[in-house]
Amino acid sequence: MEGLFFNIDNGYIEGLVRGYKNTLLTSSQYVNLTQCDTLEDIKLQLGATEYSSVLSDINETLSTSLIERKLNNKLIEEFTYIKSQSNSTLTKFLEFMKYGYMIDNILLIISGTIHNRDKSEILKKCNALGWFETLPTLTIATDLTSLYETVLIDTPLAKYFQSCLSIDDLDDLNIEIIRNILYKEYLEDFNNFAKNELPTPSNEIMERIINFEADKRSINISINSLDTELSTEDKLKMLPNIGLLSSNENIKHQLASITDLENLQVLISSIGIYKDIFNESTANSNDENGKSLEDFFYEYEMRLNKDAFTQQFTFSTVWAYIKSKEQEIRNITWICECIAQNQRDKINNYISVY
Amino acid sequence: MALEAKNRTLLACMGDDDTITGMLLAGIGQVTTEEGKETNFKICNDDTSSDELLKTFNSFINRNDIAILLINQHLADKIRIEIDSYSNAFPAILEIPSKDHPYDPEKDSVLRKVRRLFGDS
Amino acid sequence: MSGAANREQVFPTRMTLGVMKGKLKGAQTGHSLLKRKSEALTKRFRDITKRIDDAKRKMGRVMQTAAFSLAEVSYATGGNIGFQVQESISNNARFKVKARQENVSGVYLPQFEADINESINDFKMTGLGRGGQQVQRAREVYSKAVETLVDLASLQTAFVILDDVIKVTNRRVNAIEHVIIPRTENTISYINSELDELDREEFYRLKKVQEKKQIAVAAADAEAKAKKLKAEKERLEALESKKAQLEAAKENGENVKEEIKETEEAKAGVVEESVVEEEKEEEEEQSGDLVAQTEDDVIF
Repeated sequence: MEGLFFNIDNGYIEGLVRGYKNTLLTSSQYVNLTQCDTLEDIKLQLGATEYSSVLSDINETLSTSLIERKLNNKLIEEFTYIKSQSNSTLTKFLEFMKYGYMIDNILLIISGTIHNRDKSEILKKCNALGWFETLPTLTIATDLTSLYETVLIDTPLAKYFQSCLSIDDLDDLNIEIIRNILYKEYLEDFNNFAKNELPTPSNEIMERIINFEADKRSINISINSLDTELSTEDKLKMLPNIGLLSSNENIKHQLASITDLENLQVLISSIGIYKDIFNESTANSNDENGKSLEDFFYEYEMRLNKDAFTQQFTFSTVWAYIKSKEQEIRNITWICECIAQNQRDKINNYISVY
Repeated sequence: MALEAKNRTLLACMGDDDTITGMLLAGIGQVTTEEGKETNFKICNDDTSSDELLKTFNSFINRNDIAILLINQHLADKIRIEIDSYSNAFPAILEIPSKDHPYDPEKDSVLRKVRRLFGDS
Repeated sequence: MSGAANREQVFPTRMTLGVMKGKLKGAQTGHSLLKRKSEALTKRFRDITKRIDDAKRKMGRVMQTAAFSLAEVSYATGGNIGFQVQESISNNARFKVKARQENVSGVYLPQFEADINESINDFKMTGLGRGGQQVQRAREVYSKAVETLVDLASLQTAFVILDDVIKVTNRRVNAIEHVIIPRTENTISYINSELDELDREEFYRLKKVQEKKQIAVAAADAEAKAKKLKAEKERLEALESKKAQLEAAKENGENVKEEIKETEEAKAGVVEESVVEEEKEEEEEQSGDLVAQTEDDVIF
């Protein structure tokens, strides 16, 4: 039944995104890219893809950062177009997608405010995907209180701030902690939205993806905070209440309280899908060529995204496409970097699923 | 001379975004509120004018707590004359490559001095 | 190059001669010492330049690896961490350098050493949500890279200082070799020639004085001799007359004969005495000459 009405509002978008999806680089194209000797060759190879339009007008000398910037422009262009074509629930869904990037942008500006940086400089560094109309006004505020009371309150993210942070926290807490608390709130909210407002099967797919995202953050936070003096309470504040690792209050608490890597690994491995994560990854050793934890996560995420395309009449295809595209840009940047920095032995560390 | 070197403990860096990030990760950064010594690093990109580079360069070499000044080679090229004519022992000026601009020994001021002295190019 | 044109303005005295000789000796010792110093420094200098060359090339590679580790970070975090990193800098650097002094032939070369304060870590929180491990690894790689840079900076500083010192030393060596030593030598030969001249004058003067003295002495001698002879003559005459008287009286008795004999003997004794005196005077003159000669020896 859902297919009947889905296309009235969202048929075009889905068609569009599936069209976009076909332009994602395939594994054979990646192989071609890894054979390149210079960035010029890469440009030539990419000329045969959708990226030709953004790369063709480069006149300056090629550099990795330049290529990355151009590819990102393409992504933003597409996202903006999709968003402008969307309505009602899909618009809301896309807004939620943006919130993640907005958190980063807002924190960028907050830290800029604390250190009295040139605001226009900071604005340039903001992620365009997380751009919102009131973002520039954030830069008007000169101190944290006014930033919070007059500007932040009006942004879509205000609810996250309100529920968990006071104005004093903004001053005292490390910016990274704030970021993770906000992100936790965001993920929970997003999950709520996906569960209650998205039609099936979008909600199932999105829940899966969001829960994985939550787990990913939980694992990362607990591992990366091993060497810091963060207390268990601090950590608990940052760990999302969703995801497999948080389904059981006990596990979550352990995650926050364990202080050595080994026990943490045992704990995480006890969860079914993460059983092999530490066997495959070499996060604990310094083996340079092994897969890192991030590689594992990226790969798993990409598998989820790929699966998302198997369902029809879903909003999650948009999510899957945007995330796949992001990964693709990371892959290309990685390959460019390997070529530019002469580190060819690691060039195959990209993640390709299509 | 001996005394002068003792008080110089900092490294300073002029470079592009990535170079600075890397150097800061290594831990050379120091931010203070003291006049003229606020930061010991300066991000310079392709838009930074040579006047501005020169100003930063001069302010770094005139600080008495900097032992080594790291500068990206492509930035050094913009103020090559000043770097070539710089002859003090402290701070030592080191030209380093940046991510997008590999190292070219032919351009390095000190290496060229070496070459000139021994005439073996 | 000769004489007056290139020498120090000094009084040609024996004392300045001594001073100059000391100075020449000092200059020669200094010259050989400086020359040796310069050689030692040059050896070190060549060594350093060679190492700089190698180190610079090595740096190119090291920095590339470091830049790559940063690429790994941005791959893992999915974004640029530059800004976060810049904002978390505290007011005390983790990576500082310590300068140690190394003494090469009296030249102090600073040797920078990495001085890492492990307790400071401004980036513990960076990448908390994602990519934290990559951030820490990049941190280590960059620390290593900066250590290489610090080594290189030591070499480079040594290069600059040595370059300077060698120039100064060589300038000194050349100055001593081509200016100070010739000039001192000129001064010495000038003083010598001047002193010779004085000696010759002195000698001549002494000779002259002696000549005059000898003439005066001879005159005085002659006079004294003449006086003596006259006195002798008178005595002889007196004796003669006495003898005549006695002879006349001889005929008068035997005793008189004996008296004559006595008178004869006395006469011979007087003559002998005067001869001995003359010889003595001659001896005195000779010893005077000897004294003059020894004086000459002292002079030359």
